[in-house]
Amino acid sequence: MNPKMPSTLNPADVLQRINRDLERSVLRARNGVRYVRGTHRPSLGTTPKDVVWRSGKAELWRYKGGDRRYRPPVVIVHSLVSRSYILDLRPGNSTVEYLTAAGLDVFMLDWGVPDELDADNDLERYVDWYLPRALAAARRVSGSEEVTLAGYCLGGVLAALYAAGHDDARVRNLILMATPFDFSQMGAMVGLLREGRLTPEEMIDETGNVPADALYSGFYMLAPTTEVAQKATLLENLWNDEFVEGFQAMATWSRDHVPFPGAAFRQLVELLVRQNILMTGSIPLGTRQVDLVNAQGNILNAMAERDNVVPPAAVEPLMQLVGDPARREELRLPGGHVTFGTGRSAVKHTMPNLTAWIIDHSDPPS
Amino acid sequence: MPANQPLWLRVVLKVERAIGEPVESAVRSDHYFELISTTTRVRRKAQGAAEGVSRRCLHTLNLPAGSDIRNMRQQLARMERRLNQLSDEIADQGETGPRPGNGR
Repeated sequence: MNPKMPSTLNPADVLQRINRDLERSVLRARNGVRYVRGTHRPSLGTTPKDVVWRSGKAELWRYKGGDRRYRPPVVIVHSLVSRSYILDLRPGNSTVEYLTAAGLDVFMLDWGVPDELDADNDLERYVDWYLPRALAAARRVSGSEEVTLAGYCLGGVLAALYAAGHDDARVRNLILMATPFDFSQMGAMVGLLREGRLTPEEMIDETGNVPADALYSGFYMLAPTTEVAQKATLLENLWNDEFVEGFQAMATWSRDHVPFPGAAFRQLVELLVRQNILMTGSIPLGTRQVDLVNAQGNILNAMAERDNVVPPAAVEPLMQLVGDPARREELRLPGGHVTFGTGRSAVKHTMPNLTAWIIDHSDPPS
Repeated sequence: MPANQPLWLRVVLKVERAIGEPVESAVRSDHYFELISTTTRVRRKAQGAAEGVSRRCLHTLNLPAGSDIRNMRQQLARMERRLNQLSDEIADQGETGPRPGNGR
């Protein structure tokens, strides 16, 4: 007799299992209809907030809810290619909510959805115009002299350039999350542009920006068949309301890209991709040269070990290039690119580790 | 892969990986990059040619074409950008410049 086989079939167990499967089938049917019809979509980015500064499409939000025990405030600079609600995806699964609940004063610099009016926005516009003004507003509103500046993905590049390029930056801590530095390690995402097979002009549309669809295609082609596995996993878990909600939230975000301002895209391709200029430790910005070693503050270089958008190899060199070598720390997290915002791994590793680091480098409650 | 997954799901995931891995390496290959760049250029040329024909037809009837609207939108955007820039400069001067009557 096979030792793994139960010696007797317990009728109560069988009945319980049939009942469970029946219940799940009913829930699967209900959730399946809701999913196909597109109803009952989860609300995203729901942590309450106030808009404290606005210029063009850019807005600075200050989140409500915590008792703001620690200083300086945390200002998150989001990427230029995706929507910022990934860092505040759903209640119970939100980095913003976690940081706020821990007593931190959290701000988010959201770039909005660029259109024709933003086609001329170049790196200087972000680093020398928006960032100084938004951070001045954060300091004014919070009553703090300094900030903890946290950049996600390309937002990390902007944050690093700001911290290195402004003598009066007043950045106590600089957190760079999945921030690409070595663009030769960015793989398929930039392969077409790096080798000149496509020029920036061929990707920029009549609005003067790179359309969101083109960016979505770039991300989609990193793993074109994964959607099949995701849909199969959804089918199996369709009875589970929470799973379906999480799936819909992620699916919405991953398709929700924003156009990339043309001027910044041209610079990104020429300087960052083709010249891989960040690896030299210095980049021309406006009329000056910004040396990354001048970045102020304690530096935390956070990377996700299974990130296929910004692989660790593209992030690691930052440890040799940005800021004071004595003030650099590295944080390796399990998970992929979105582990900085959402997911089981985010709740278990990213959120507690990031929060602990920030609190360790903040003023204690008075 | 969790052990409590049903057999059908495990099969789907295995098949997906079996197909997905070669596809993922194919989309990182030079051939794929060539294909994408050629497709992009051909598509843009075809689009440009089709737009040229429709523009000429519409202009014959003294009607504006999509490209005219587009040019007008671009001009308006340029003007609005310039206005925004000026209002930003004025706001900056208001914040940092000498205030009237402060004697300096």
